[in-house]
Amino acid sequence: MNTGAGWEDIVFNSRDPVYLQVVRHFKELIVTGRLDAGQVIPSRRELGAKLKINPNTAQRAYKEMEERKLIVTEGNSPSRITMDDNVLRTIRSELLGEAVEAFVASVSKINVPVEELVELVKIKYIEAQDDVSGRTVSEGGGDKHD
Amino acid sequence: MNRYLKLVHMEIYRFRYMLAILMGLTAVCQIVGLVLYLNSEVQYRYSHFDKFGQWPDSNAMSFARALFGTQGWFAIPVVLCIAALILYAFLIWYRDWFGRSTFIYRLLMLPTARRHIYLAKLTALITFIFALVGFQLVLLSLEKWIFAFTVPAELTEHSYIAEAIEANRVLATLLPRSFEQFMYAYGIGIMAVIVAFTAILIERSFRLIGIVYAAFYVAACLLAVVFPIYTFGIDRSNAYLYPEEVFGIECLICILVISVSVWLGFRLLAKKITV
Amino acid sequence: MIEVRNIRKRYRMRYVLQDVSFTAEKGQITCLIGMNGAGKSTILKAIMGLTPVKSGQILIDGQPLGKSVYEKVAFVPDHLTMPLGMKLSEGLRFMADFYDSWNPQRAEELIRFFKLDTKERIGNLSKGTAAKFNLVLGLAPNSEYVLMDEPFSGIDMFSREMIAEVFSSELIEERGVLLTTHEIGEMEHLIDRAVIMRDGKIGMDFDCEQVRSEEGKSVIDVMREVYLP
Repeated sequence: MNTGAGWEDIVFNSRDPVYLQVVRHFKELIVTGRLDAGQVIPSRRELGAKLKINPNTAQRAYKEMEERKLIVTEGNSPSRITMDDNVLRTIRSELLGEAVEAFVASVSKINVPVEELVELVKIKYIEAQDDVSGRTVSEGGGDKHD
Repeated sequence: MNRYLKLVHMEIYRFRYMLAILMGLTAVCQIVGLVLYLNSEVQYRYSHFDKFGQWPDSNAMSFARALFGTQGWFAIPVVLCIAALILYAFLIWYRDWFGRSTFIYRLLMLPTARRHIYLAKLTALITFIFALVGFQLVLLSLEKWIFAFTVPAELTEHSYIAEAIEANRVLATLLPRSFEQFMYAYGIGIMAVIVAFTAILIERSFRLIGIVYAAFYVAACLLAVVFPIYTFGIDRSNAYLYPEEVFGIECLICILVISVSVWLGFRLLAKKITV
Repeated sequence: MIEVRNIRKRYRMRYVLQDVSFTAEKGQITCLIGMNGAGKSTILKAIMGLTPVKSGQILIDGQPLGKSVYEKVAFVPDHLTMPLGMKLSEGLRFMADFYDSWNPQRAEELIRFFKLDTKERIGNLSKGTAAKFNLVLGLAPNSEYVLMDEPFSGIDMFSREMIAEVFSSELIEERGVLLTTHEIGEMEHLIDRAVIMRDGKIGMDFDCEQVRSEEGKSVIDVMREVYLP
């Protein structure tokens, strides 16, 4: 099954607002390159069906993303991911910042010199990159049908 | 109106197999009884003739006499049909509440006045009664033809179908000769059905305690109907009122019982019924 | 909007509903949650006029209950309420005969979506299939509100998934949906409003997203507060 940009790869937690979780999911898709700048995204109804959420929630998520300029809708044409580099860069640094913060928070409990940590991160990161690169090539297609 | 007719159609459609079975049973039972009787009678006459060289004293056979001689065969299916209809007067409601599918939910949620449900069930039941009575009439002509076919002409004596009905007690009750009698018999029957419907709806509305209410209601109706006959008397020579007057009062009370029962039934169905 | 105002109901000397008030808006999914016997089904039946209430008021778009309400509000009970001897096709024709709001195209779409065989007899349907057909009868009319009693209980996993799909589709969009459940589980992300019931009373009535963003609580957290204070 070709899941396209990976819309269904989301597991909601029940304590954060669902619409914010959807927005975050979009940010992750953009940052990981599974959604390109300017790419057409599904209608809110399609998204609701794909994520198995209620259409009101999908609507709210889209509204939020429009307000944050993550997506743009011109007239009657379908919504697209923004082409604005500033916005895209902000998202990237935002997610990266959050991830690093979380990492630091958990690592700081172990008393480790920063040089050692950086070296370790470097090795692990390169390993992971080699591992993943083979698999991600095929992803990122634009097929929105299941 | 339109939805009422659709409901009537549906109620009849749901009972169609049962109605066919009842009719089939009646036909089989009566025809078998008649044929057996006729054969034995004809045989008796021929054997008498063979033995003594002459017909027995009462040699003539009429259709009326044949029906007189087969009362039991006629009574069994008729009583069975009446019992089935009485039972169905209750089932026509209760079948919608009990069982895996509680159709009463759907019926009560139809976008039509709920009295149509009541009227449709009543109409259906009355239709069943007259369908069976009508069937009996058709069956009688068939039986007369069977009689003519089985009994040799030299033994046959002509009789009218009305005489034949008179000769058979069950048929005489079922098909009274005068229209008035017919109206009384079936009018009282239908009134009984209406009272029973209301009693059922009382029970369905108030459940356990409803059984007590329903029993009281039926008793009250019964009392109201028999009250004038017992108080004023009809055949007593020292009666205070003329028979016509008692009869008038009786009619009025019956109309009253029917109106109150129907009104109460409609009201319960609209406001108090519970699934 | 379906408004339930101060309804009370007694059954065998005890109150099964005590002063229950809440509203279900059009275009939203409202869920009555509570343990078995909390009075959820009774409320749905009372809204549909299937059981009388002792006092209180039920209004649908400002109108009291009447026969026209049945064109406007569809009810999907927790079991199929059609004669078992009927074929599915006969059941559909029955609905089309009686309801002006019946939408045959939508009925056909739903039948296809759920892969139902209309030549089958209703009495022969499995529980999951019966639930699907029940949903067809409730969703095919162009009614503005749909009430559903425990649409997911006692149904196999695959049927549940199919039924859940209906909730995120255009079939219920724009309509007001009021449903009951005793286990919120998979419904958590589907509903807009939750009304938590306990022993015939409303314990809590809230907007799910609001509670998540303002208090960081899930529906189950709130339910726990109501039941285990």
